[in-house]
Amino acid sequence: MIVLGIDTSGYVNAVGVVDGSRVLADRSFPAKTDSLEQIVDNIDTTLKRAGLALGQVEGIGVGLGPGSWTGIRVGVTVGKMLAFSAGKPVCGVPTLAALAYSARHAANLICPVISVGVGDAVYAGLYRVVNDTVERIGDYYTGDIEGLSELITGRAVLAGIQAQKYARKLEQRSGKKFKALEVLPSGAAVATLALERLSHGRSDDALSLTPLYLKESTAKVFVNKYSASKK
Amino acid sequence: MLVLGIETSCDETAAALVADGRNVLSSAISTQLDLLKKYGGVVPEIAARRHTELIGYVIKEALDTADKTLDDVEAVAVTSRQGLVGCLMVGVAAAKSISYSRGLPLIGVHHIEGHIFANLLSHPEMPFPHVCLTVSGGHNMLLYVSGPCRYEVLGATLDDAAGEAFDKVAKFLGLDFPGGPVIDRLSKQGNPGAFKFPRPMIGSRTYDFSFSGLKTAVVNMFRDSLARGESLPLADIAASFQEAIVDVLVAKTVRAAQEKNVTTISVTGGVSANSRLRQAFTEACGKQGIKVFFPKLSLCTDNAAMIAAAGYARMMSGEKSDLRLNVFPNAPLGLS
Repeated sequence: MIVLGIDTSGYVNAVGVVDGSRVLADRSFPAKTDSLEQIVDNIDTTLKRAGLALGQVEGIGVGLGPGSWTGIRVGVTVGKMLAFSAGKPVCGVPTLAALAYSARHAANLICPVISVGVGDAVYAGLYRVVNDTVERIGDYYTGDIEGLSELITGRAVLAGIQAQKYARKLEQRSGKKFKALEVLPSGAAVATLALERLSHGRSDDALSLTPLYLKESTAKVFVNKYSASKK
Repeated sequence: MLVLGIETSCDETAAALVADGRNVLSSAISTQLDLLKKYGGVVPEIAARRHTELIGYVIKEALDTADKTLDDVEAVAVTSRQGLVGCLMVGVAAAKSISYSRGLPLIGVHHIEGHIFANLLSHPEMPFPHVCLTVSGGHNMLLYVSGPCRYEVLGATLDDAAGEAFDKVAKFLGLDFPGGPVIDRLSKQGNPGAFKFPRPMIGSRTYDFSFSGLKTAVVNMFRDSLARGESLPLADIAASFQEAIVDVLVAKTVRAAQEKNVTTISVTGGVSANSRLRQAFTEACGKQGIKVFFPKLSLCTDNAAMIAAAGYARMMSGEKSDLRLNVFPNAPLGLS
């Protein structure tokens, strides 16, 4: 089954195409402020390089984040509206899962980490590697590095952009040693994880697909705190 | 030609189907009223999140209501200029995806040009040239419109737009957001002559506007009354404040029409729904032999039908956008 995967949560436009277990394309286009401008071109270029037209794509995988809120919205909107418009099934894939998948050869336990973009705060999760794929253990984590060091042991390998930096910070805070693997978001990883469900006839409802932010906007936090203290 | 219009520049998520630039087959709009009331205004991040949730549903609703499918759509028009950047991006991302997957022509539209076309949609018989006052929470401009998509900017607000002044004063008086409709309703029970608020720049030679001084005058008077322990006739304050805004908008627009030698005025944008503004314009224009047009109420506030109509006009004159279409939140209105 030919599946297109996209992820725009991490300051790159990651676009990949798989056909079953074969990776036909896996490209990463730098995109700080021009993610929206480029994304459709990036998809078109990647498909053409793989010798494909959009009509041959049988399913779409969409990276849901977390990461850059603006970035995530580009990919999720494009992914779901492409699926709706072209009549293809779509699957949302958490970006942390895709990062863990990309790092699955490094260890049995992977801790993907994504910067929140403010101070030392991160989004993270814990994944076990099983049957050449990954399964999440427990809830996602959003918070500072200190808090993360209480949740994971040195058996977990950190994975993501700047994973080495986070490993060093974790070591400083906890005294435990951590291994790290620099991993970029991968469209092919997103496509492969989507394929796991698509190949069993399972998919998400395109119109209701929304980002996985894992963090409220500051205004909402403020208003919630304010109304709670008023009560 | 059937055009799918998409509009997400501020807090309304909208999609519409318009045939041949004038026949509105459907106009679906989802407002964020619950969020506006909760936060006292538009919070860009929250608005953008809501657009992402709704955009697919709104497009589907526009199609279903018109009893059409994407197979029938021949072009896509989307607001890409003027508005909140994160919000604009959602509409443009959706529009590009549909355009790419179906090989449809795509056109990015300036939000204010959409409002200009809202009136042309409502009144296809409106002649050119005419003078157009476009006024809402986010913009306040006076234009000389010599033809479809041909504008000369005569003036604009130097600070607050009239709609913004309505919102700020309403908020200050403890009334709901958005302020325009609330003040419109309240004013009907009030005396517009009770308080003499300034009419800023009403006599100035330029066609620019300024409303922040008027807002300050209302706030100061209100505070002084409070300090003296006087009771506050909200309806009178609302009516007098509204009358000041109306006086300025009407006077400057009518003078522009006279000086530009046109006998037609178009009043558009969210504030054009205001009942006192419509009444005052009708009276003033009647005395001067000028015809004044207002959009249908459903087309005054943000909607996608006006975007489809504006996009159609641009496409008919040979313009189109490509798949690298980007958003420009502060783009000036294209003048041609």
